[in-house]
Parts: sequence; structure tokens; C-alpha cells
Amino acid sequence: MIQRILILAGYFSKSVFFSLTGLLLLILSIIYWAIFFPPGQGTPDIENYIILIGAQGAAATFLVSLAVCSKAARTENYPVLVRLPSRVEYLIAVLLSSLFLGLLLQLLVAGLALIRGPEMVITRVLSIPPMWISVNLLAAILALHATDLVTVGWSRVILFGLLAIALVLNSASSSSSGSWFSDQLNAVSDILDRVDLMWFADVAADAAEWAYDSPLSTIASAAGMVFWPFRAMVDAVFAGNFTPSQSLAPAILMLYGAILFLIAATLFAGKDLDFLE
Amino acid sequence: MMGVINSSGIASFPANHSPSDLHVIEFNQVSKKYYSLTALRDLNLTIPQGEVIGLLGPNGAGKTTFIKLIAGIIMPTKGEIRATDSEAGWPSIGYKSERLVFPDNLVASQYLEMIAGLCSIKRAQRDNVVLESLARVNLLAAANKQIKSLSKGMRQRLGLAQAIIGDPDLVLLDEPSSGLDPEGQDEMQTYIEELRLAGKTIVMSTHQLPEVTRSCTYLIILKDGLVLYQNPMAEALTLRPHVAVLVDRPLDSAKELLSMVHPDIVVDGLEVVLRDEAIGMRRQVLSILINQGFDVVKVEQRRVTLAEIYAEAVQ
Repeated sequence: MIQRILILAGYFSKSVFFSLTGLLLLILSIIYWAIFFPPGQGTPDIENYIILIGAQGAAATFLVSLAVCSKAARTENYPVLVRLPSRVEYLIAVLLSSLFLGLLLQLLVAGLALIRGPEMVITRVLSIPPMWISVNLLAAILALHATDLVTVGWSRVILFGLLAIALVLNSASSSSSGSWFSDQLNAVSDILDRVDLMWFADVAADAAEWAYDSPLSTIASAAGMVFWPFRAMVDAVFAGNFTPSQSLAPAILMLYGAILFLIAATLFAGKDLDFLE
Repeated sequence: MMGVINSSGIASFPANHSPSDLHVIEFNQVSKKYYSLTALRDLNLTIPQGEVIGLLGPNGAGKTTFIKLIAGIIMPTKGEIRATDSEAGWPSIGYKSERLVFPDNLVASQYLEMIAGLCSIKRAQRDNVVLESLARVNLLAAANKQIKSLSKGMRQRLGLAQAIIGDPDLVLLDEPSSGLDPEGQDEMQTYIEELRLAGKTIVMSTHQLPEVTRSCTYLIILKDGLVLYQNPMAEALTLRPHVAVLVDRPLDSAKELLSMVHPDIVVDGLEVVLRDEAIGMRRQVLSILINQGFDVVKVEQRRVTLAEIYAEAVQ
């Protein structure tokens, strides 16, 4: 099985790397480096180095993953796919290839950013791989769900819809105010009041009052917990060290990745494959 | 009887083997729908082992859907497809798509080497396996050519080479001769015949009746997603023998009289055709014809042709 996965991953990686998409991604990475780490100005401190290159790695992996999926979803691969005892092997190869190419682009930018870059301390350097790899993994698997290779029916809309709702709730839970929903509804009420829609303004005000005492804020806080690993990692980077609970953050991101990959594999294993020429 | 992989990873088979009663795959009440279009309806059939199965049918009959279901590219909407031998598991499959698309950035031998790798053939043996499969389809000269530079005929052969590499239990060929010139078609049929003699189980869809007559040992005719006909070729072509009596002039005057003798007697121009039960009435028909003043030019015993079977089934 490992041999088959590695052969396929190598094939996908070569196909994308030596393609126009590969060239474009390479150029994008260099542009990113030139903008955020201009060699003339010198690289900012190590915290920014870790965060900015982590973000670039995630974005690059997401884009690479889209490109690999598009390559994998072509008619020419039917004979290849048919040879595999399980479709999941195919998906793992796509994922591996995306991670490999994403990491390659990330390391390129990371290497270039060291030109007049920050001083690297071994303890900080050792904390980088778990963070970057876990975020990249999650980005690659999210990209799988975004493509036609994996998506079935409304699965893509549902997943990214839930993600969007979680993001909104996250911003609600991170609000400094006691009740984010209540504040928002009060703001809406004020706007309606100003345009003389008194009845609607009253409704919004009542809703705001209700929201203040409702369990919505608790739900928002709970949904905001989904994004805790990201906050924990950023906090740890700026603090310069991980607390015991923060050190779990990369592992939790990996867990998210594993769950999402399981869903992707289930969808892919049971769907009709309609590859494009 | 299945082939074995010899030391170099190439299949070797006993020549002229005879097909067994074993089956590879079984369809149980299988239907396939694409939105509102039903491509296959309640299919119940088995893929016999060691046979070359010819899938015939008009465009849109469900041939490609049938092949894609076996290949596992699409899933049935209803029913189940299962390996007949549950202990051996799902058979290994080699598939040649109708479309001649390959990874154009590779050379032919690289592509085959990748397929060989996916068949778990050891690295040390892959070169030999690739060369032998290229030799089998007469494509050795193109081993180091970019796939994008290959002609259509060469691509068809490359498609066949990749489908047979690693000795799969079942080879699926979707329109293997499509778009080939007569010479190319002949070559393709020769390759398929070689595989047949080697005892491979092959399912191939085609529109070429001569190809089926020459290469196939089992016949399935599909139309509108239904199996209209399935039989071993030998049986299909020996079934329903008929007798044709050729006379010297048009039979219009005797037509009514002959059709009254038996409904299986058909008059067509200068010919009287006696089918099924009417075959035993040869003497009676001959005496009627002679009494009516016809000269009998020829009496011939015939077998049903594939074209007739096909035409009858799809009508």
C-alpha cells in the first residue's frame, strides 16, 4: 500500500510542480516573500517570522491542494484509480502530494526570509514544525473538501457554511462586550430608528433585550472554542513559550484534520467519479 | 483458470484453455440512474471467468456505465455488485477507457512503469514487465517516446498494454477499436484474440460486429439499460438454424399458400426461409414450389448471424 501511495504522490507532485500552476505558485510565494520579508529592510522579529510564514504555508498548501485535486480528477487517471484496492489510497496520495509541495513552497519562503532575518534560537526553531505542519494539514484537507474530487451534493456548502457560522460565532465570542448578539441587535435597532421604521426598531430592541438574557452568548462561546488552537498557538508564539495546555493546540488541529479527512474519505469512497478530460 | 505471474511478473497461461463455469463478478438487481436518466435497470447477470464478453448495444444503451460499474468508477443506485468468489475478494482489474487520454508529460515506458508499480510489481522486475507488455502490443519502438507524440493507433495499443500489465483478473476494454483504421482494428482484434487464447476474462464494449464474432466467446446485448440478450457466442450462433430455399423467380404468387403451411415460413423475394418448427416441413415446401412451377435453384442450411441476433434484439 505504501509503495502505491508513494508512486501516486510522486506522480501528482511532479505533474503539478512542472506545470504552469506550479510556476504560478512559485512566483506567488516569491512575491509574498518580497512583500513581507523585503531583504533590503530585513526580516521582522521571530514571532512575525513564525506567524507570517505559517500563514503563507497554509495558503500555499490550500492552493497546491486545489491544483493537485484538479490534476487527480482527470479522465487520464481512471486506469490508475482502477488499479488501487481502495480509493482511500488515491486520496491519501493527493493529500501527501499537497502537503509535500506546500511544505516545499513554505520552506522556500522560510529560507529566503532568513536573509537578514531574525536570530534563530534552537528552542524556538523546534517549536515551529508542529505548528506549521498541523496548520498545513488542516489547510490541505479543507481544500480537498472544496474540490469536485471529494465533494458530494451539498457537502461542500454544508462544511464551509458551518465553518462560516463558526467564524461568526467566534468573532461574537471574542467580543469584549457582555453580549455580542445583543449589541448587534441594538445597533440594528438604532439604524431602524434613524430611518423612522419604528415598529421594526422596537422589534430589534426587544430581540436585543431577549438576546442579552438568552443562551446565545454561551453557544457563541462554545463555537468560539473551535478556533482555540489557533489563538493558543499565536499566544504561545508571542509569549515565547508554550504553556502545557497551549502545547496541545497543534495536536488538536491534527485531530480536526483527521476528522475532516475521515469525512472526505467516506465521501470519496462512495461517490460516482466523473473526471474531466 | 487464471494466469500466473512468472518470475518476471508477466502473465503466462496455458494455450487453448477452455472457459470454466466459474464466474468473476455478479450483478444483483443493479440499477444506475444519472439524475432522471436510468442508464441500467435491474441487471441480474454474472461475468463468466475466462470468457471474452462482447457488450453490444446502440449508443446510450448503458455499455460504458456497465463497464464503469465493474471498474468501481461509479456506484450502483440500487442493487449490489459483488465478487463471486468472496474469499478471493474483489478481482484485480485492468481498464482501458474509451477516451485515449494519458498523462502526456510522461514517456510511454514511464507511464507503464507507474502502472506496474501500482500493481505491486517489484522495482527490479518493472523494467522487464514494461518491455514485455510493450512488445506484446508491438509498441517497443515507442517505449521512450512522449505519449503526446503517439498516434491514435499507438495510443490504443498503449491503452491495451496498461490494461494487461500485472496480469489483472479482469480486463475491461471500452471500445478498443474505436477510431482505428481497418489495419489498426485488425491488429487490436489479434491482441484480444491472443488474450482470449491465454484465458483472460475480458469485458469489451464495441459497435463492431465482426470484432465480436472474431474475438468474443460470450455475448451481452444491452438497450435502454436492459439486458436484451446474453449467451455464449457458440450457443448464440448455433441456435435457431434455418433453411433457405432459393427459386428462379419471385415468389409473390406462392406467398399466401406458403404462409398458410406454417407461420415460421417467411417468403422474401426469391427466397423461402424456414425457421424453427417449419424446418421439418422442407419436403412439403419443396413439393408446393415444384407444383407451382418454380425451379428450385438451391437449398441451404444456415445459422443465425450476429447481425441478425443484434437486429432482432434491439428491435
